[in-house]
Amino acid sequence: MSGSDGHGAYHGAYGAFDRASIDRSGQAEAFDAIGDRYDEAFPHKEGQLAAGQWLADLLPPGSRVLDVGCGTGLPSARQLADAGHRVTGIDVSPAMLKLCHDNVPEGEFLRVDMADLESSGLGPFDGAVAFFSLLMLPRVEIPFALRMLHEQIRDDGPLALAMVEADVDDFSIPFLGNTIRVSGYLRDDLRRIVSEAGFEIASEDAYAYAPASTDVPPEIQLFLHCRRRP
Amino acid sequence: METERVTEHEKPAASATEPTPPPPAGNSRRGQGNPAGPPGASPAGSGGPAGPLGPLGHDAVGRPRPEAADEHAPQPQPQSQSQVQAQAQPSGQSSSGSVTPMASSSPLPEGAGQRDPAEGERAERERRGGDRLRFVGAATRRIARGVDLDETVLGLCRASVPAYADAILVYLRDPLPVGDERPTGPVVLRLRRSDRIPEYPQFTQTQTQPQIPEARATAPDDPAAGALGAVPMLPLLGAAGAGQDAGRAVAGAAGGQGQSGPAASELAEVRPGGPLAEVLRGVRPVFADSPAASAALPELLGPGRDVPGGHRAVLAPLRGRRRVIGAAVFLRRPDRPAFEPDDLLIAAQLATHTALGVDKAVLYGREAYIADELQRTMLPDELPQPTGVQLASRYLPAAETARVGGDWYDAIPLPGSRVALVVGDVMGHSMTSAAIMGQLRTTAQTLAGLDLPPQEVLHHLDEQAQRLGSDRMATCLYAVYDPVAHRIVVANAGHPPPVMLHRGGRAEVLRIPAGAPIGVGGVDFEAVELDAPAGATLLLYTDGLVESRQRDVWTGIEHLRERLAATARLTRPGAAAPLEPLCDEVLDILGPGDRDDDIALLAARFDGIAPSDVAYWFLDPRAQTAGQARRLARRALARWDLEELTEPVELLVSEIVTNAVRYAERPITLRLLRTDTLRCEVGDDVPQLPRLRQARATDEGGRGLYLVNRLARRWGATRLSTGKVVWFELGLP
Repeated sequence: MSGSDGHGAYHGAYGAFDRASIDRSGQAEAFDAIGDRYDEAFPHKEGQLAAGQWLADLLPPGSRVLDVGCGTGLPSARQLADAGHRVTGIDVSPAMLKLCHDNVPEGEFLRVDMADLESSGLGPFDGAVAFFSLLMLPRVEIPFALRMLHEQIRDDGPLALAMVEADVDDFSIPFLGNTIRVSGYLRDDLRRIVSEAGFEIASEDAYAYAPASTDVPPEIQLFLHCRRRP
Repeated sequence: METERVTEHEKPAASATEPTPPPPAGNSRRGQGNPAGPPGASPAGSGGPAGPLGPLGHDAVGRPRPEAADEHAPQPQPQSQSQVQAQAQPSGQSSSGSVTPMASSSPLPEGAGQRDPAEGERAERERRGGDRLRFVGAATRRIARGVDLDETVLGLCRASVPAYADAILVYLRDPLPVGDERPTGPVVLRLRRSDRIPEYPQFTQTQTQPQIPEARATAPDDPAAGALGAVPMLPLLGAAGAGQDAGRAVAGAAGGQGQSGPAASELAEVRPGGPLAEVLRGVRPVFADSPAASAALPELLGPGRDVPGGHRAVLAPLRGRRRVIGAAVFLRRPDRPAFEPDDLLIAAQLATHTALGVDKAVLYGREAYIADELQRTMLPDELPQPTGVQLASRYLPAAETARVGGDWYDAIPLPGSRVALVVGDVMGHSMTSAAIMGQLRTTAQTLAGLDLPPQEVLHHLDEQAQRLGSDRMATCLYAVYDPVAHRIVVANAGHPPPVMLHRGGRAEVLRIPAGAPIGVGGVDFEAVELDAPAGATLLLYTDGLVESRQRDVWTGIEHLRERLAATARLTRPGAAAPLEPLCDEVLDILGPGDRDDDIALLAARFDGIAPSDVAYWFLDPRAQTAGQARRLARRALARWDLEELTEPVELLVSEIVTNAVRYAERPITLRLLRTDTLRCEVGDDVPQLPRLRQARATDEGGRGLYLVNRLARRWGATRLSTGKVVWFELGLP
């Protein structure tokens, strides 16, 4: 909310978005409560590692990479840092950020809402990853978030994006003892909105994934390897 | 120890050490005018000429074979005094030194007459009356001690031979009427047991110690028995021919064994209105030489079987609470004093107690049978065979059939290929426990079917148990295995913890909060979620497996854990032990004396389902959802190389999803699962189940389920706490 001050309605990708509709209540709290149980429930992140590897290999070492919704920093921020990149992570959960600092001490991790990234002055970046973070937004906001990322990435920089395949909008589901609201697209729709936001889809992967928890149903994970259309 | 117990129970005949009830007036009157032959009442061990039949009453002497040989009751066995003595002897062999051989003692009928003749006669009569009372008291106790049919009949035989008669035949109706049932068909009496004293002193001595089962029945084949024919005092039952046949008649049929060539009929059909029927209806015992009995006995024993004459045989109908259930024939040898009129009263007492005991035993046996049946019918006939887990179970009733338990187990398939595993144990052992078990099992099954979380299932089970009654106490362990997540969620209501045998061979007692038992009320249950890796085996059991009189529950659990680990060591490294033999191994931890309680055992081997065999989506219910679902299904089938199924699957998915989105408000779920079949589940938040109804020719819809019914190998709809799941399965091409 604070991000809306001092910025004109016409500024940036979020400029046309009704910021008054933004409601993150409960989302950060849920992840604060989940903490490191998150990584226990979601082991074996082959798809995410593959997507991170694709992006890390694409960029020259020392590139600035944005991790949107960095979570615990594992495995992606760690992987990117290990590949020699400078990682900046943002998340809304202080507990997650704390874990992230511990897991990737060399990274820069900040409590910044996606909607406030433009005004934070952190960008631009050489590339960005957004693994299962855009799904925390209501559908109506996701195209804005994608456009924002488009503006925060330089040139034809890469974007690695992960979503859960579903056809839901701001849908409350039980999640590791908490409740979160998620949105999703079936893959054709996802391709379309990613493309409409100005990204070229270089390749994609789908993984059938079963979290190691009875509280989260198995899911189809979609990984899109995108390049920014300049 | 053994000896002490034996001595406590030893009351084969009235003994001098027994407290003597003051003889009531009526009884001493009954004693009058009966100078001869009160039943055995000699003080045990005196060996002196205490009474006319005293030595006969000295039961020990006449006992050729140990009772233990053919008694099968689990209680401490009554044994004769001579056996007790013999066991006390270092040699453990011969008891003849302390025992007066019966044959030599029997010709002492009028020993009392040698006393002071004036006072003596009255005193003698009173003494005999008291002896009779004591005898009847001891004998009826002996009879009443029996819990089952054979024990009761054995009690009658032991009590009356040799103290009261030299031989006895006990006939019971076949089949025995149970309770108030009105029997149909002809009344048939079957020789249930017969008994007699041995005729030959050597025989007595050589058979004092044997522990051979069925010694009684095999006795006639003993070399010593070959001398039977030379003994003059038999036949008691005048089988046409040698005395040995008579011996067979009695001994051969003992215990209902039906040895070759019994002289007395094994079976007698009571002719309606015939002489036997008349005697039986009369209830009162009669002498065999009375007009009524002399016609009735041939009907009972078969033609040509003479009984000793001169009041040496008594035919006593056995009348239970409602009807005659059999007859007993008491026989005395010719060299023994005949029965007196008062002995009919004794026969009546013995018969009454026996008949009531048989009634009781039949009812008791019936109850145990019913309870056992009840228990078994309330357990699963067979376990389901869900995908991703193998199941095996065992149920063992307690060693004593009367101790019906309330143990149960269950396995209930849930949506998403999950399975609920249940084991429970109703407190107490009775028919009621079995009935409560049935109620709780049904309740647990219903709650499980709603796919409630384990702690919720226990919570509602607890509430329901309290609604059912105030004493519905049980322990219960409820676990849900999710083969896709490789996890298990367990909640416990006071039950022993499950044991997990890991693939590597490590056995682990799972740490689950114990929780309060079902039926206590007001206590929250806690669920624990644990890893359930593929290849691991979870063992749920009831306390009968681990707890016994000799072993406390935690020792038993540790024992079980060790046994599982030991069994795993014997199997190929890395491979899990086959499940059924594993169950048998586990049951082997029970020692012979450990079966105090019934035992339920449920073993689950986790195979798991690979995530790649599962596809799962949430879909907002909208007009286009059916089309989306079709596309998702098609893509999944392509991924699994199951394009052949595309057409029917798309059709069925489309029908079910169309139904689901019509009323659903929240996103529906579409799940596809590939195992040995293709399974599809569509979940929504509307609890109403779809019904198969006949669509009219003009109906636009309504044919969906008919399609499903026709095309699917199996299909169904399950109501959940959050809505419902409609599913179908197709065979793989």
